[in-house]
Amino acid sequence: MSEPTVIATRPTPGQPRPYDFPQFERATLGNGLRVITAQMPGRPLVTASLILRNGAADDAPAVAGAISLAARALSEGTQRYDAVALVEATERLGAGLHADAGWDAATVSVEVPVARLEPALELLAELAAHPTFPVREVDRLREERLNDLLQARAEPRRRVDEAFIGTIYQPSSPYHQPSGGLAGTVATLDVERLSAAWQRGFDPARMTLILAGDLAGAGGRGAVAIAESLLGGWTASPGAAAIGGPVASGSVIDAVTIRLFDRPGSVQTEIRVGHVGVPRRIDGYAALSVMGAILGGLFNSRLNMKLREEKGYTYGASAGFDPRRGAGPFSARVAVNTEVTVPALVDLLAELDRIRQEPVTPAELAGARDFLVGVFPLRFETPGPVVGALGGIVVHDLPDDELATYRGRIEAVTAGDVQDTAEARIHPDRAAIVMVGDAARITAELETAAIGPVEVVRDEESTETAS
Amino acid sequence: MVNPSVPFTDERLPNGLRLVIAEDHLAPVVAVNIWYAVGSKNEVPGKTGFAHLFEHVMFQGSRNVKKAEHIALVQAAGGTINGTTWLDRTNYFETLPSNQLELALWLEADRMGTLLDALSQDNLDNQRAVVKNEKRSSYDNRPYGSWSEKLQAHLYPEGHPYHHPTIGSMEDLDAASLEDVSAFFRTYYAPNNAVLAVVGDVDPAQVRAWTQHYFGGIPANPSIPPVGDMTLQPTLGAEVRETVTDQVPLPRIYFGFRAPVMGDRRLDALEVAMQILAGGKGSRLDRRLVRDDQIAQDVVAFVLGFVGGGSIASGWATVKPGVSLERVEAAYLEELDRLTREPVTDDELARAKALIETEELGALSRVEERADRLAMNATLFDDPALIDTMLARYLAVTPEAIRAVAADVFRADNRLVLTYLPANGSTEEAAG
Repeated sequence: MSEPTVIATRPTPGQPRPYDFPQFERATLGNGLRVITAQMPGRPLVTASLILRNGAADDAPAVAGAISLAARALSEGTQRYDAVALVEATERLGAGLHADAGWDAATVSVEVPVARLEPALELLAELAAHPTFPVREVDRLREERLNDLLQARAEPRRRVDEAFIGTIYQPSSPYHQPSGGLAGTVATLDVERLSAAWQRGFDPARMTLILAGDLAGAGGRGAVAIAESLLGGWTASPGAAAIGGPVASGSVIDAVTIRLFDRPGSVQTEIRVGHVGVPRRIDGYAALSVMGAILGGLFNSRLNMKLREEKGYTYGASAGFDPRRGAGPFSARVAVNTEVTVPALVDLLAELDRIRQEPVTPAELAGARDFLVGVFPLRFETPGPVVGALGGIVVHDLPDDELATYRGRIEAVTAGDVQDTAEARIHPDRAAIVMVGDAARITAELETAAIGPVEVVRDEESTETAS
Repeated sequence: MVNPSVPFTDERLPNGLRLVIAEDHLAPVVAVNIWYAVGSKNEVPGKTGFAHLFEHVMFQGSRNVKKAEHIALVQAAGGTINGTTWLDRTNYFETLPSNQLELALWLEADRMGTLLDALSQDNLDNQRAVVKNEKRSSYDNRPYGSWSEKLQAHLYPEGHPYHHPTIGSMEDLDAASLEDVSAFFRTYYAPNNAVLAVVGDVDPAQVRAWTQHYFGGIPANPSIPPVGDMTLQPTLGAEVRETVTDQVPLPRIYFGFRAPVMGDRRLDALEVAMQILAGGKGSRLDRRLVRDDQIAQDVVAFVLGFVGGGSIASGWATVKPGVSLERVEAAYLEELDRLTREPVTDDELARAKALIETEELGALSRVEERADRLAMNATLFDDPALIDTMLARYLAVTPEAIRAVAADVFRADNRLVLTYLPANGSTEEAAG
C-alpha cells in the first residue's frame, strides 16, 4: 500500500453568505391577542405556537406542578372532543399537537403541512379555549406523574438535579422544586386546581400566537385572518389573574455545602456544583453566554477538556446558566466513575476559580464568539426553532431586534467582559456541591479533602419519614 | 401531499471514495456526513466495543490536526459535529456555515489519511477511560440500563456479528492495544470503504475539486475483509424468558422479536404497524394499557433495522404499582396478536401514514438528515436514490401487508420476554 499524501495547509474560509434571521411581522387581533408571523419560503411544514404567559413560576408552592399537569391534561378532553376523538382528528391532518408548560409560559403548539394549517389551528384553539379536564383522565395523569417521580428517584441524573435545586433555593421559591412539582404537591392536584391554573393565564391580552414556515401556502386567507376567525373572539377568563410578577428566587446557601445522596452500588457519582444564578433579562447577557461557552458549553470548554480529554474521568462535563424570568440556577454538571469522585470535584472547583481569576486566552475568546456567531444560521434552518426564538422574545419582553443584534453583541464581548462576568456571577465560595453516589466508597476521602462540611443523606431516612 | 425529492449526483474518486452531492441553497449551511462501512458487526470475539472506541480515537488528532482540535476548529467555524457507531456502520458528520465547507473536507481527509501519525498510548488510554464512563453513564448506572445488551444477546446467537453490544465489555475495552487501533484503521478506514455526502449551499464542481484535492492522495485498501456469517433463522424457534432484578422502582416488561432485514418491504409494513401499535396517544397499546385499563405507566414499540440476517422488533410496558405483571404482559401480547388476525382499519392506517408523511417532510427539511440518509443508502444498499423512495414505500403499505408481517414476527416461538423487577422485591406504592 502506498503512503497517503494529504494537504498540510489548513484551508481558510470563503466569504460567508449573508444571513438574516427571518423577517417577522406583528399583528393584533380585535381582542388584543398578538400574532407574529415569519415567512420562510420553501418550508411547507409550518410550526404554530400559542404562548400564554403563565408558567410554573406562577404556581403557588403548595400546588407546584399545577400548570404543567394542566397543560398535559388539555388534550384529554374539550367541549367538542373527547381525548381519543381529538388525537384522531389531529393525526388525520398529519399534525403533531402538543401542550406543555415551562417556568415562564405555557405553550400549545402544532406542526403541520401548510395546506392543512387552518384545521390544525382550529384544533389548537379548541384545546386552549375549551378544555374540560375530565376527572377520570386528570386522576390518571396525576397518578402517572407520581409514578414518574418515583422513577426519577432511581435515575441518578434526575435525582441529583432535584436534590440540587432543593438544596440551593429557599423553600418559598418555585425553583426549589422541579417545574412539574414533587409528590407532596402533585398529590393535591385535582380538576379544580388544574382548571384554575389554566384559567389564570387565559387572557387574550397576554397571549401571542407565533407562526413560521411557508405561510404563503396557507390559501386565500392569510394566517392572521385565520387567527382572527379562530382566536379573535376569545375573552379573558373570569379566572384570569395578575400573574407574571417577580419570582422569589432567594438562596439558602452562604458557604460551601456538600450533600451526598447515598446510592449504594453506583458505579458513577453524579455531581452538581453551583448556586442561584441570574434572570434572563440582565445587562451583559452576551458576555455571560461567551463565558458559559468557554467554561462549560463548547466541546473544548475548560471543564470538558480537563475532566474528559485530559483526565478521562467522564463522558462529558458541562456548565451553564438556566435563565428564566427570575434567577435560575448556575450549575456545573458531571458524572464520574466512583473512584475519582474527589479528584474530579477538586479539578472542577479549580476551574470555577480559574475562570474568575485569569483572563481567558485570545484563542478561547475567539473560539467561543465565532461559534456563537457562526452557528446562528444553523440554528434557524427550520420553522420550529424560529418560533422558539420568537417565543423567547415574547416571554422575556425582549426588544424585537434582539435576534437581529445578537451576533453584533457577541462579537463585542472582550476578555475583560468575560472575566468581569465570571467574577460577578460565579461564586465557588458559596457553592452547593450535591452528589448522588455510593457513600461508602466516597465519604471518607471527601471528608479528608476538607472542601466543606459533608452531609450524607440516606434513603432509609426519607423512606421512613415518608411511610 | 408533497413527495419529497432530493436531486443529487453520485460518483467515485479513483481511490474508490464515493461522493454524493445534493445542492440546496435555501439556507447558507452545508452538511458533511461520511459513512464508513464498519460497525460493531466487524468486531471479533475478545475485541467487542472496538469500533466505537476507535470512533473516539478519530477525534484525537492526525498529522496536521492536534488532539481535540478537530472539534474545536469545527465549532470555531460555527459548526456542529459528532460521530456515531452502530452495528452496521460508523459515521462522522459536521454541519457548518456553507463558507466553511473546505475546512470540514480537509479535516476529514487528514484523519482518513493520517490518523496513525497522532496516535499515542496516552490518547488511547484517555479515550478508553472516557468510553468506560460512557458505558457507565448510558448503561451500567441507569435503571433498566442492561436491556439493549440483553436484547441483542438473546435475539442473535453466540457467534453472530450482532450478538454483542456496540459499547462492548469493560474487559475487552481494557484489552484494546495500540496495535489493534492501527490494524483497525489500516483495514477499514480506507476511501474505498467510505461514502462522503455533502448537502446544502454548495457549488458541486467546487465540491468535486476539493474532494479530489484533499482525499485524492489517500490510497485504497484492496483487501477489506468481509463481515462474518450474518445468516440467521427467521425466528428464534422457542420463546426465551429472562427475569432481571435491578434498582428500579417499577417493573418493566421488554419484548423482542426477530424481524425482516432493512430493505425488505415487510420491514416497512412492520414500521407502520409499530406506529399503529404505540405511536402516540391514539395508538392501540396506549389506548388499551395506559388509558382504558390503566395498568401501564407507559408503552413503547419500535423497530431496530439492520441489514444482515435480521432486524429487531421490540417494545416495553412499564407496570403500574400494584398491577400484576401477568396482566400487563397478556394485554400487550393480545394487542400484538390481534394484528396478526384482523386487518387494521383504513382510518388507523391513514392516520399512521399521515403522521409518517409529516415526519419525513420534517426530517428531509434538514440538510444534516439528508446527508445522513444519502450516505446510509449508498453504504448499506449501494443506492443513494433510495432516499426518494422511503416515504412512497411507507405509503404503499396495505392492511394485508401489516397482517402478514405481524403473523411472521409476533409469534410465541419468536419471542423474547425480559422482565425487570425491583431489587427490593416489592413494588413501591405511589401516593394517590
